[in-house]
Amino acid sequence: MNPLDQFTQLETRRQFFSRGKNALGYAALASLLGPTMKLWGEDAGPVSATLPHFPAKVKNIIYLHMVGGPSQMDLYDYKPVMKDWYDKDLPDSVRQGQRLTTMTSGQKRFPIAPSKWEFKPAGKNGMMMNTELLPWTAKCVDDMAFIRSMHTEAINHEPAICAMQTGSMVGGRPCIGSWVSYGLGTLNENLPTFVVLVAEPTNKEQIQAISARLWSSGFLSGEHAGVSFRSQGDPILFITNPPGVTGELRRRQLDGLNALNEITHKKVGDPETHTRIKQFEMAFRMQTSVPELTDFAGESEATMKLYGDAVKKPGTFASTCLLARRLVERGTRFVQVYLNNWDHHSNAGGRLPSQCKDIDQATYALINDLKSRGLFDSTLIIWGGEFGRTIYSQGGLSKENYGRDHHPRCFTMWLAGGGIKGGTFTVRRMISATTSSRIRSTCATCTRPSSTSSASITASSL
Amino acid sequence: MKDKSPDYYEKFVRRLMATPAWGEHRGRYWLDAARYADTHGLHFDNYREMWPYRDWVIKAFNKNMPFDQFTMEQLAGDLLDNPTTDQKTATGFHRCNPTTNEGGTIDEENQAFYANDRVTTTGWVWLGVTMNCAACHDHKFDPITQKDFYSMEAFFRNTTQSAKDGNVKDSTPSILVPQTPEDAARWTALPGEISSVTNQIAARRAEAKPAFDGWLTGSKGADLDAELNISNLVLHAAINVRESNGVTVAKGPSHWIPLKGEQEWTDGKLGPALVLKKDATLNFGDAGDFEKTNAFSYGAWVRVSKAGPGVGVIARMEVEKNFRGWDLHQEGRKYNVHIVHSWPENTIRVSTKEDVVKEKVYQHVFVTYDGSGKAKGVRMYIDGEEVAVKIDNDTLKDTIRTETPLRVGQRSKDHVFERGRVQDLRIYNRRLSSKEVKTLAKAVPIREAIALAADKRTKEQNEAIFDYWITTRDKTYTGLVAKNEALKAERDAIRERNPVTHIQQEKKDSMPMANILFRGQYDKPKDKVTGGVPAVLHAMPKGATTNRLGLAKWINSPENPLSARVTVNRFWQEVFGVGLVKTAEDFGSTGDAPVNQELLDWLAVDFQENGWDVKRLFEMMLTSSTYRQSAETTPEKLEKDPQNRFLSRGPRFRMDAEMIRDYAIAASGLMKEKVGGPSVKPYQPGGIWEAVAMPESNTKKYTADKGEGLYRRSLYTFWKRAAPPASMDIFNAPSREVCAVRRERTNTPLQALATLNDPQFVEAARVLADGAIARSKGRDEDAIDEMAQHLLSRSLTSKEKSIVKRTLAEMRAFYEKQPEAAKEFLAVGESKPSDKVPVTQLAAMTMVANQLMNLDEVLNK
Repeated sequence: MNPLDQFTQLETRRQFFSRGKNALGYAALASLLGPTMKLWGEDAGPVSATLPHFPAKVKNIIYLHMVGGPSQMDLYDYKPVMKDWYDKDLPDSVRQGQRLTTMTSGQKRFPIAPSKWEFKPAGKNGMMMNTELLPWTAKCVDDMAFIRSMHTEAINHEPAICAMQTGSMVGGRPCIGSWVSYGLGTLNENLPTFVVLVAEPTNKEQIQAISARLWSSGFLSGEHAGVSFRSQGDPILFITNPPGVTGELRRRQLDGLNALNEITHKKVGDPETHTRIKQFEMAFRMQTSVPELTDFAGESEATMKLYGDAVKKPGTFASTCLLARRLVERGTRFVQVYLNNWDHHSNAGGRLPSQCKDIDQATYALINDLKSRGLFDSTLIIWGGEFGRTIYSQGGLSKENYGRDHHPRCFTMWLAGGGIKGGTFTVRRMISATTSSRIRSTCATCTRPSSTSSASITASSL
Repeated sequence: MKDKSPDYYEKFVRRLMATPAWGEHRGRYWLDAARYADTHGLHFDNYREMWPYRDWVIKAFNKNMPFDQFTMEQLAGDLLDNPTTDQKTATGFHRCNPTTNEGGTIDEENQAFYANDRVTTTGWVWLGVTMNCAACHDHKFDPITQKDFYSMEAFFRNTTQSAKDGNVKDSTPSILVPQTPEDAARWTALPGEISSVTNQIAARRAEAKPAFDGWLTGSKGADLDAELNISNLVLHAAINVRESNGVTVAKGPSHWIPLKGEQEWTDGKLGPALVLKKDATLNFGDAGDFEKTNAFSYGAWVRVSKAGPGVGVIARMEVEKNFRGWDLHQEGRKYNVHIVHSWPENTIRVSTKEDVVKEKVYQHVFVTYDGSGKAKGVRMYIDGEEVAVKIDNDTLKDTIRTETPLRVGQRSKDHVFERGRVQDLRIYNRRLSSKEVKTLAKAVPIREAIALAADKRTKEQNEAIFDYWITTRDKTYTGLVAKNEALKAERDAIRERNPVTHIQQEKKDSMPMANILFRGQYDKPKDKVTGGVPAVLHAMPKGATTNRLGLAKWINSPENPLSARVTVNRFWQEVFGVGLVKTAEDFGSTGDAPVNQELLDWLAVDFQENGWDVKRLFEMMLTSSTYRQSAETTPEKLEKDPQNRFLSRGPRFRMDAEMIRDYAIAASGLMKEKVGGPSVKPYQPGGIWEAVAMPESNTKKYTADKGEGLYRRSLYTFWKRAAPPASMDIFNAPSREVCAVRRERTNTPLQALATLNDPQFVEAARVLADGAIARSKGRDEDAIDEMAQHLLSRSLTSKEKSIVKRTLAEMRAFYEKQPEAAKEFLAVGESKPSDKVPVTQLAAMTMVANQLMNLDEVLNK
């Protein structure tokens, strides 16, 4: 590379981080200047005041991560030709020696398992999808953009979720929510900027591990870590006063505490003391705002009905989606939702219906609820797992049932809201993967193109 | 402070440094660097027994082990001459890294991940070099090449550690760490004693041979009949004589069981065996007509050809009548017992817990039932030994009698034991003891063998007879065996009551080697490299071996410009809050420059020249006038030195997570001072582990301890990596998944909520208030002063006092109106409030204690 060009590029990057007129740059600058920036409370500083030079569409993000890796070809990735391939062996020309997990690498054969469910066109573009298990979702595909060409390097859950969240399979880096918190700052001084909600699936037979590392702030300052709201006990740890202590009593105790801390501040002069006073005040306000947030009593009957009966049970995906909406409504930047139990190594036929039932109506409800409140265009919804699943069956195969192993090279995610162009979907060939070999491996993995599925899509897709 | 001598402060510092808490406190920082935790970290995140390493760290600081030795033992203790248990334990440093047992992971990838972590950690802790940047490419900013990275990795790759941790607490290599001198002595002596007795046993077998031969010559099978004369035998069929069209029955309702069609006989355990198959099963008529209130026992030698779907081995069971009756059933690799009135709602079903069925092998399978009508009245034996069972169904209420005959090889219909064999079928109408079952399993084959002519016996049979003879008739031999059993039991007991710890162990048959991994990818190995150190730094010392021992010597070498600097910087950071180099893990060009280079240099050289004496260094820092400065600031200081990097004032910073909690427990007097031992589980809100753990994990459910475990120092709190202790997580404790040589120090409302509302803090406040009231004999002002002394080591000023007294008055007014609320409040925590103080008074004072414990001055160092 021409050294001069290189220098210009470096200069650009430097500008970006040190004096670029964008929020991330200011955030970086602010953090370099010292511990004056506070994402909690009034000290939000330059971060919350800064806007990019073009109007940003997305103010909030709700990321629905499906832990375990949902099966793309059973939900959104239509593979009609596979019906003719039932129980035939996966050709070597397709697999091309690619890595399998040790759960199936010892299998004698790799019989193709076509989806047992019925696919029908949905939405104005007639995208073929599993309308049998996702009838509600089918009604809102015109608001969603499907990326059916996702791929990842990781083949096991731990590293794969880590890669989705942080961009690296090895832990220790900030997750996406932390970056958003760091770069964009707070919108509500009474609530955390980045909240994690772990929803509880109805079926729990194939639960995978998730851990606090997934919402850690890595090398960013700890305040950017996700605050995990709990579905059991206090939504935020220790938010409730001990029994026998009222809010009024706490107020008086804190008044005394603040006065005492003021004396300390006068004497010692440490600015952190003032910060501490503010944090105690913020804590006190949260004690009111958080219970209000998690109490659905104020929701209209129509809204509750929209989400379905499951919304009344704390911890369900439906109730989690409603909580996510309430958080977004109140200014939480990033809501990370986890729903477990998508790891269908066996009995996909038995388990997928309950997984889909968990998400189907709730997804429809979330999109429409946000729309009716005018929040849809400023809220980006991301849905997807950490990888996809194999077209061949893991273990026994019948027309009615099969299992599917991990498959990193091709899977589906969808986006909605936040200015996303609804009713669109990619074919795996359209994504501009960086190397052609990668594209080949991606194409090769699942299925060969089927005439029916690609005909309705652009010619460039081939 | 009663001591008025001029050096009272120095003496005080030395006194504190001599307490066991010194090692606990210093060790705590080191455990962050070592990424110590009590679980493996990934996937199941199961329990890992590792705390002897934690205790070693505490001990090392307490005995002021020179830091170079501290380094040496942790990196290469196992490679020293005749390493002690302590030195091996020390090598746990590099076994603290997270590991996995996830089914689909690839071993080579895991090993690459572990080795990478070790180089990264070594780089940060001892060199202040971000070696990790060079895992995928040459370092972008520092003169470290990718080759340097993998050369150092080679030192850590030559390990006997397996790529998966097995989800067990003691994955290899690990050692037992006896906790008492007695156990340690016995643990060392036992292998020798056991092997000596084992030799004596072998010798005795040789000696006894002539006596045995004499006995055998004159012996007939009948000699064993006395032993086998077990009463209440109601059916006995040996099924070991090949006869045409039938089987003789020694004892039972009839003496002859006819067989239809063509029969297939083959060699069996006790002579020829009938091959059971459809239409070639046995019908014993009315035998075994038991009621559920009868005790009975039954079983036989059984050979399974192929473990598959369920079959009736021995069954008096009427399939058409909801399976009424009883049976011995075999399904897959398990045996099951059914005792049924009607399936499944009125039934006992018990199965072997483990997969005990061995295909194509004769196993003696026996069942005893005590007539209680309960599943726990069923016991199952394989080859004479009782096996663990699983109760699948325990709903039997009504009669089990049925008209269908007793059959071998099927139930009343179907469930045929295809190609199975059954010999020496016995049924007793009482419950046999385990000893009797054992005799059946052992003595019957012996009796059959003795009955044969000498030249007809196989080698195995001769050995079996000898075994039987020597174990029943030779007192010297049985005495030796008993002694051996006792020694082994002693060994097992020591193993049971002492912990294991994970250690490093070098592969003996290979030299350290690693491949440079293209872009750091485990499956893209390039050039091989041997163990080596970064080329830009000093060379390996003369004579140093190319292994971890050499690496440790290289790190400790006086030529090493980094390790002493990095170490004193980290110690400085512990005392002053921030290091002279702020980026304690990175002394490279992207790290921060030292705020005072000369001081850093001087400290490092002084440390090295004085034998890496850790206590000496700390004493010097703690007694320095820099440290002893007042923390008070002025506008000028704030402007010129806003972050106190130039130490224009004494250090003042929010205490670490552990100190915050320990301070509260200690001030209240609840603290249980005890050094070392298994990790404990203090209070933690429900659902924290459960929310993230896999259902299969053995650290899924958090159950808080009772008593002592609630009040230990926080460094003993059980550390689950996937969900670190919640109250510590809030105060920036790391997850212990990667090495951490410095912690964040944030100031958040979640922290305020914890110190206000966490039961640990509420209880501590109540106990502090309780004690203060008792000692001040009810005088408010004295009680408040007492609490202030405990928390601030000073009395309150009059202005402060008036604020606190106002709070007390407000609290008291409230609780006097609502004594029920006071009772509820005081019930927080396991300890009980004293009954001498009125509840309203104690509740009000507890709120005051809680207020004082949340003072900025208390939370700050």
